[in-house]
Amino acid sequence: MYGNAYIDPNEKSNSITDGEDIQKLNAFESRISNGEKIEPKDWMPKEYRKQLVRMIEQHAHSEIIGALPEGTWITRAPGFRRKLALMAKVQDEVGHAQLLYSAAETLGKSREAMINDLITGKSKYSNVFNYPAYTWADACIIAWLIDAGAIINQVANAKGSYGPYCRALDRICVEESFHLKYGHDNVVTLATGSKIQREMVQAALNRWWPPIMHFFGPSDKISLHTEILMKWKVKMATNDDMRQQFLNMYVPKIWDLGLTVPDSKLMKNNENKWEYTEPDWDEFKRVINGGGPCNAERLAVRRNAEERGRWVRQALLAKDSKYLIPLA
Amino acid sequence: MNQDAIKELLYKMADDLLILGHRNSEWTGLGPILEEDIAFSSMAQDKIGQSQALFEILHSLGEQEPDIVAFMRNANQFHNSQFVELPNGEYDFSTIRHFLFDHADQLRFEMLSNSLFEPLAKLSRKIKGELKYHVFHANIWVTKLGNGNEESHSRMQNALNECWNFALGIFEESQFERQLIEEKIFEGEVELKKRWLENISGILEKANLKIPNTNTWQAINGGRQGKHTPNLQPLLDEMSEVFKIDASAEW
Amino acid sequence: MIKSLDPRVTRSEIDLNNSIDPLKDLDQWETYEAFHQKKRGEQHIHVGIVHAPNPEMALLFAKDQYGRRGITANIWVVKTAHIFMTEYDDQDIFETTPEKIYREAGGYKVMEKINKYRKETKISK
Repeated sequence: MYGNAYIDPNEKSNSITDGEDIQKLNAFESRISNGEKIEPKDWMPKEYRKQLVRMIEQHAHSEIIGALPEGTWITRAPGFRRKLALMAKVQDEVGHAQLLYSAAETLGKSREAMINDLITGKSKYSNVFNYPAYTWADACIIAWLIDAGAIINQVANAKGSYGPYCRALDRICVEESFHLKYGHDNVVTLATGSKIQREMVQAALNRWWPPIMHFFGPSDKISLHTEILMKWKVKMATNDDMRQQFLNMYVPKIWDLGLTVPDSKLMKNNENKWEYTEPDWDEFKRVINGGGPCNAERLAVRRNAEERGRWVRQALLAKDSKYLIPLA
Repeated sequence: MNQDAIKELLYKMADDLLILGHRNSEWTGLGPILEEDIAFSSMAQDKIGQSQALFEILHSLGEQEPDIVAFMRNANQFHNSQFVELPNGEYDFSTIRHFLFDHADQLRFEMLSNSLFEPLAKLSRKIKGELKYHVFHANIWVTKLGNGNEESHSRMQNALNECWNFALGIFEESQFERQLIEEKIFEGEVELKKRWLENISGILEKANLKIPNTNTWQAINGGRQGKHTPNLQPLLDEMSEVFKIDASAEW
Repeated sequence: MIKSLDPRVTRSEIDLNNSIDPLKDLDQWETYEAFHQKKRGEQHIHVGIVHAPNPEMALLFAKDQYGRRGITANIWVVKTAHIFMTEYDDQDIFETTPEKIYREAGGYKVMEKINKYRKETKISK
């Protein structure tokens, strides 16, 4: 479950390919424009490696942190069917983290280093998981709409240029289709259920709509940086395009259920584009920088989990172990 | 066949699996390493699924729907051993409980695969592989942590000591023991416990862990008759919190 | 202590300002490459890696990470260190291979010759 890589708009972007071997760069770029994948040991520009590590790592963190808001309801899922399915879904998020950390490792950053950057707050993860899941219906909205957003992003990224990331995403997308169905089924059940259930799900939708609108990130600044990342197939679609795609696919489905989207300006205009109230991007930045309702808790819980597991990991470590960058 | 005897057997098995599956699911997303987190969750799911299957059999014998039975009873109506309701503790406790319980569980189902009560025999044959894997997983973990380093060895030994008398409570005999044996439904708790001790002894020896002295053995019983530790009712309240908002609704 | 919406978290009595020593190298163990065979008779296919401290656990982990859906006949794991690979930079060693049609069935087009011969000698049927 993941939106889009957060690229700092203030990052210097005028010297992305400075100092790169021009012949190698040309060969690299023509491989990508021919639709070929880049593999771990291939030559790649420094900036390509850096952005990919950052993006895949953020994605991995989003999965393991994403297990927390839904995990909030794992001991309270109502009935056998929901209990089993939620366990399987949260398990999948952990599995996705494993796959994505593995893909990022092939670029030379160890899992230990990535986890350290997560728990010290150095690395980012999808903002959406810094919001609380107050009721069971929140977990249902997350499973449907956040996963829906994630699929849009992941399907796009699966066509990117880096082989190991694409392979991980192919596997992940198959599982996400279960999540989406599961989430939709949950929301439909609540929305077509009793009065209390309908109220629960509408309230959850109201709470989650602003984070969902933030999910794909602010409009991309048209910059050389963005252009190059798109040429290198690191970034596969603009944030706005993905948001439009999401609205197009899911707003009608939400309306079908008689639910109200809490944005009075939301409508499709004559040019087939969705218009909406501009999300509060100051809040987005505040949450990204640690000021959201759950940032501190999420990281404290991760630190606690790492610490509680440490004796297990240390006890099992074989003396002759040697870490090598995984192959693929 | 004695329906009361069969129901009692099914209830205690289903409750054990539901409560332990629930406890084990609490580790999901918080496990010691991603890979083990995934593995432990699969086994928790298996347990919940097995429990559901047992409640289905009970339903076919006239009991209420699985969801109602699982989510609407109070602690004093549960027949699980007290062992499974204890909080997870650290991974040492959870792993030892997984080992001790899953060995008993596998043997119980193995014995039941020849039961003259066909629905149970059929289920036992169906889930044979799941149970085999659980024991396989438990054996490797207990052996490796028992032989890991000083800390892991002493943690595992302490956990074993702490779990032991509770684990013996798995084999609390029911009032229907004789009927179950006579009617060839189940060979009984005494036989199960005997085989269990044989099976775990070898593994614990390999794990360099010692079973507590027999003179300290004192099974903590009562769970089969609805007597529980103060841990069970809060677990059930939590588990059914959403379900009870409207037990007649579809969720 | 965190009072969370997640009862599991509340029970764990976690300090919101906890801090831990960073994970050291090899905290997450070595890696094993996992290979999955769907059905007997099919190839084992590389599906990804697991971090594991020994081969036995690598197999447990691979079973649940790569075999928890669909069908599986068999799984292999191999320590990453025990795999040797060609270099992508040397991919050109394979470059002319597809041209060597003398080693392909498609390189032998006997029907053309037979048909020509038949036409010339007017053999019919």
